[in-house]
Amino acid sequence: MTIDAGRRPRVGVVKLASCDGCQLTLLDLEDQLLPITERFELVEFPEATSRRSEGPYDVLLVEGAISTPEQAEEIVHLRARAGLLVTIGACATAGGIQALRNWADEPTWRASVYPNPDDISSLATATPVSEHVHVDAELRGCPIAPDQLLELLTALRVGRRPQLPDEAVCLECKRAGNVCVLVAGNAPCLGPLTHTGCGALCPAYLRGCYACFGPREQPNVDSLHRWIATDHSDEEADRLFAGFTAWAPPFQAPAGRALPIADAHAKEPDGA
Amino acid sequence: MVTTVAARPGFLRRDDLERLIALLQEGGRTVVGPTVRDGAIVYDEIREVADLPAGWTDDQAPGRYRISQTGSDRLFDYTVGPTSWKRFTFPPRVPLLTAGRSTAGNAAFDSARPDPPRLAFLGVRACEIAGLLVQDRVLSGGPFVDEDYRARREAAVVVAVQCTCSGKTCFCASMGTGPGVSGGHDLVLTEIDGGFVVDSGSPLGAQLFSRLPITAATPEQLASAVGGVAEARTQQTSGVALDGIRDRLMDQLDSPRWAEVADRCLSCANCTMVCPTCFCTSVTLASDLDGRSTDLDRQWDSCFTGNFAKVAGGNFRSRRQDRYRQWLTHKFATWFDQFGSAGCVGCGRCITWCPVGIDVREELAVIAPPYGENAQAAVVAGSPGVYVTATVRSVTPETADTSTLQLEPTDSGLLAARPGQFVMVEQPGFPPLPISISRVADGALWLTIRAAGPATTAVIALRPGTQLGLRGPLGRGWPVERAPGRDVVVVAGGIGLAPVRPLIDALLRDRSRFGSLLLAYGARTPADRLYTGELDRWRAAGLEVQEIVDRAGEEWLGSVGVVTNLLDQREWRSREGIAFICGPERMMRATVSTLRERGIPRRRIFLSMERHMECGIGLCGHCQMGPYFICKDGPVFAVSEISDLMREGI
Repeated sequence: MTIDAGRRPRVGVVKLASCDGCQLTLLDLEDQLLPITERFELVEFPEATSRRSEGPYDVLLVEGAISTPEQAEEIVHLRARAGLLVTIGACATAGGIQALRNWADEPTWRASVYPNPDDISSLATATPVSEHVHVDAELRGCPIAPDQLLELLTALRVGRRPQLPDEAVCLECKRAGNVCVLVAGNAPCLGPLTHTGCGALCPAYLRGCYACFGPREQPNVDSLHRWIATDHSDEEADRLFAGFTAWAPPFQAPAGRALPIADAHAKEPDGA
Repeated sequence: MVTTVAARPGFLRRDDLERLIALLQEGGRTVVGPTVRDGAIVYDEIREVADLPAGWTDDQAPGRYRISQTGSDRLFDYTVGPTSWKRFTFPPRVPLLTAGRSTAGNAAFDSARPDPPRLAFLGVRACEIAGLLVQDRVLSGGPFVDEDYRARREAAVVVAVQCTCSGKTCFCASMGTGPGVSGGHDLVLTEIDGGFVVDSGSPLGAQLFSRLPITAATPEQLASAVGGVAEARTQQTSGVALDGIRDRLMDQLDSPRWAEVADRCLSCANCTMVCPTCFCTSVTLASDLDGRSTDLDRQWDSCFTGNFAKVAGGNFRSRRQDRYRQWLTHKFATWFDQFGSAGCVGCGRCITWCPVGIDVREELAVIAPPYGENAQAAVVAGSPGVYVTATVRSVTPETADTSTLQLEPTDSGLLAARPGQFVMVEQPGFPPLPISISRVADGALWLTIRAAGPATTAVIALRPGTQLGLRGPLGRGWPVERAPGRDVVVVAGGIGLAPVRPLIDALLRDRSRFGSLLLAYGARTPADRLYTGELDRWRAAGLEVQEIVDRAGEEWLGSVGVVTNLLDQREWRSREGIAFICGPERMMRATVSTLRERGIPRRRIFLSMERHMECGIGLCGHCQMGPYFICKDGPVFAVSEISDLMREGI
């Protein structure tokens, strides 16, 4: 990215199918927020201002999955106006929790949720932005980690590659001195397969990692699945993958065996 | 005031351990030791004895760790947990420097100064001391020293505890690092009923010793301490065969097992994080928003991460199998070259804390089994006066003068014979004969014997149902365990095919573990060829068979010449090849020189030597060759062992 030394880079934040939690992470930077706005021109940021922009953006942070025909068009339009397009969060990078519907019958689900399903225009699948347009960088997580967001912005300013390691959660977990929840028997854990960045939050509270940051580089899904299934069951092992990043390609096979989870629920009458 | 200091070692009552902790805490020192947290025994601050894991024990297995209460009041009845002491001597994250740049472009580098906390380590096990000593050599034993590490090490007091129990993942005994403590400590405790046998190992330790209410240890107390450590040693039933491990492992860089272990390995780095000797790190950056000031920290990293071996052009170790091989060969082979010891101390943490239970002991046994162990079987009948009777089941002619006997021994231990071993055959009235085993199958030893004299003529004339005597299995056979992952060349001349047939059987039983398999077989005439009925079956099973004869008859359509002709025309990955040869010594010498020209090193060319053997067990002196008895130390040798001696020969 080449940014004019004389002006602040224009940064946009846009959302697609998402809960806004990742955008809020930007607000959560608190004492860094003013220095950031002094150095970046926030031209669009729906959680902070109703001001809209048509671009162009030097950097565009995209939150959310592609879930509707409008979003599928919009992302192409946005891509054309963005210098760097950075997806933020599990929805934008892996399809998010809404991608669980990719294994279900979408019209049935729609009918079970909305009184007038025909008014809703929705795609059969919820998919990550990278399935639609080229993505320059990703911030993983549900929600993203504030320090990774800050690192991204800092690296953009300095002009170096952001330090976003793609190693397993285990390294950060061990550096923190946590007792391994998988080996010590506290919980099944996807940490060995999961992209780092969260600071090993769940294992620190004796919970297994549920992979909200999605797969890391070289995730050996079959091996960990076999191991967990030995202590639990194949079904339980499958279910672990059917979460926030189920649609991430390495997780699709086990997640797909566990899904659709809520078929029975989807067939219940409206408003039950 | 005169203080009487008890003789060393002394005895410290359990209740007086509080005094030791208080002494260690003098001057604001923090005591770190084992304590229970989150279902594990971790190392953390110990303020008083009550913080120690009284009555707790642990149960460890590959990929599994559990603790439980035993109801005893013992304080150290467990082995090592997930924390290693490097957390305190070589912490996960340490500041290196702050790099600044002014608006004018000037750079400033502000180094972090080591400011080590004053710590006392309480409960350091023998393997853990070995781990600290390994890191001493790595981080402060060379021309460049990690100053932060050195400062932390110098500031730490080491109170060791000798293990009186071992877990299933412990293997310090085989690594020679424990369970007894033999140095590197200030004080050493051994827990016995009611307290501890205490000794000092440094001037500081002696000072602490003199200030503790220690009484003279009774002989019973000393014996109890020694017995406890001995018990811990006996509890270790599996380990690593250390003899020759460096060469054994470096010889297997192309083993198919690397890919097999990568099928289970998660490359999650847990093994390296818990390892007390792993020292790899990366530098992390944290800049302010303008990049004017950047803090650089050193952080634990691992050879298992994707970024570790990455350069601008790509990743040198992109596959899990490359990373596992890098880690294991460093720990057990190249570490010796770099730092003079193994990089493993046998603490077993990498086994317990591997999320999928990969056991280095097992991997090493498969990838680099001890030389010779697989090449020898227990001797059932050894001394020249002891024979096992065997019944002749069948005698099958192979050529005009050669037959194969199938013998059913009364002791089935003889059937454990390894490829390349031999037996002494005794028929009443004749001198004993050393005969190579040509197959073990269907509950019988097969011996292929050429009628070369009266005794051999008589033995192949025996009828089914008659008996004879056998001693064996004797000698060192073919090192089949060195062949996995390699292209294998088997060269046999004449009746030399008999001793290599069990080798061929072994290779074909496990065909997928080897690269290409070639048998080059030379015989004097087509009629002298052995096992002609089997050659097609071998070919179908994945062995390429090439034959050549000295003198062809009219019906021979194959090659004529010497066996090395068959090798001259061959293509194979010679650098990765291994060869096994059996035949007349002249033929073997010629073959060795051809194979060496083709790039197979002397240490991977194996010969089965022949000499006059009377006793078969290295006592009669007939088969001596240089420092070896061919019968006992061979008959199979690597060329690197014997080629300088090959100046005789028929």
